[in-house]
Amino acid sequence: MPLIRKSATPAAASPPDAAKVPDAANVLEALASGTEEERWEAARAAPGIPGAAKALADAAKRETSPGVREAMFTALTRIASPESVEQLVPLLRSDDAWLRTAALDSLRAMKSLVGPYVPNLLHDANSDVRLLACELAREQPGKESAALLCELLETEQEPNVCASAVEVLAEIGGPEALPVLARCEERFRGVSFLEFAIRITADRIRASSSPKPRA
Amino acid sequence: MSFSDAKRYYVERRIAERMVATAALSFASYFARLRMDLDGEVEHFVNAFTVNETYFYREDHQLRCLTTNLLAERVAAKGPSAAIRIWSVPCSTGEEPYSIAIWLLENWPLVDRHEIEIVASDIDTAVLEKAREGLFGKRALMRLPTEIVAKYFTPEGPDAWRILADLRDSVRFTQVNIVKPEETRPNGRFDVVFCRNVLIYFDDASRRIAAENLYENLEPGGFICLGHTESMSRISPLFEVRRFADAIVYRRPPGERHG
Repeated sequence: MPLIRKSATPAAASPPDAAKVPDAANVLEALASGTEEERWEAARAAPGIPGAAKALADAAKRETSPGVREAMFTALTRIASPESVEQLVPLLRSDDAWLRTAALDSLRAMKSLVGPYVPNLLHDANSDVRLLACELAREQPGKESAALLCELLETEQEPNVCASAVEVLAEIGGPEALPVLARCEERFRGVSFLEFAIRITADRIRASSSPKPRA
Repeated sequence: MSFSDAKRYYVERRIAERMVATAALSFASYFARLRMDLDGEVEHFVNAFTVNETYFYREDHQLRCLTTNLLAERVAAKGPSAAIRIWSVPCSTGEEPYSIAIWLLENWPLVDRHEIEIVASDIDTAVLEKAREGLFGKRALMRLPTEIVAKYFTPEGPDAWRILADLRDSVRFTQVNIVKPEETRPNGRFDVVFCRNVLIYFDDASRRIAAENLYENLEPGGFICLGHTESMSRISPLFEVRRFADAIVYRRPPGERHG
């Protein structure tokens, strides 16, 4: 029988040694001005270093390597502190769609820390931010979020934002959302995609809240 | 079937698995699917509760992909006599890494030309000890042809078989928590990583950290195989999707200059 042998030597190429304690100043400097490899390493080492959240967010804004940028956002997610939330929230307003999405993904992973920011974000002057805030509301406790989204739907002028709120309500909304959805549908009569979304959502809520016959 | 309160976590995990497999957005929509037995969901649901152990040649389409496509690419990139490293993480009680070893011996014509190292890792030291022992029951061997069982195992009692010492010695076992880089990095870089049916149980943040760790543990151009209900594209943009006839796998881009 042929034998699969154990390698006698360790793998020639190994990832960097994570047991080494990173030097805070070096990490911050590498984030700002290192080579691609150094920036990756710094992003991976940054959580736990004081001031890293701001340095990571600043570096992410100018980072050109998608992989390194991803590592920077993962580091912000790992830090999971009010400081990292404060750095991520402004990125929801970025003109760079990738930055907006990456910030959203990181914030979604920090559910409890993000909760206090959601009401204000749902009233932000920027409709893109309101739209993304609906996604953050999806991750929050159901009843509170549903109430916030219903409040938004009563006054929101932008149909895309309404559609985003409606989509989340399809998951978390209860019967109390039905009259709000009806009023929203009335306000946007003729906006066919929104009318359709509202009808589907209302049907779902009715189906899930009506008493089920016993099998 | 009945489950006590102590099995609540087990039940939740199985339901979560089925929700992902059916792309259900909520428990309510999954439950509706189950009640209507859409696409035979009741059977899938029951199977999810009965298949609670891994077994040899599980998801063997990925093993076919390994010998048909993945190793050919790695050999082309590394040279005709280069060492090949394969990582099974988490390896549970050893069925997966030993399956890889047997599959290579049986199906890869170049098996004798290459130094092959198989590393098998898990967070659980108890399962690692079982894996090292290499003793398996009937259920674990259910998908192996009789002649393969006869060739690579020796019976020990009426319902137990021990894998040959040559194979036990050919797999190196290590304890690893895949969200801790200080534990993943010492294992070095691999050509192919099998990381099946574990990321599904992590929260978003842990999944991203694990994906970056696994990325670092891959050679540039190396492949990672996930479970059939898992998608790396939903976790991290670090990898390329590669579609082969037998499996969809993910690759660390060959040209990346980081990690």
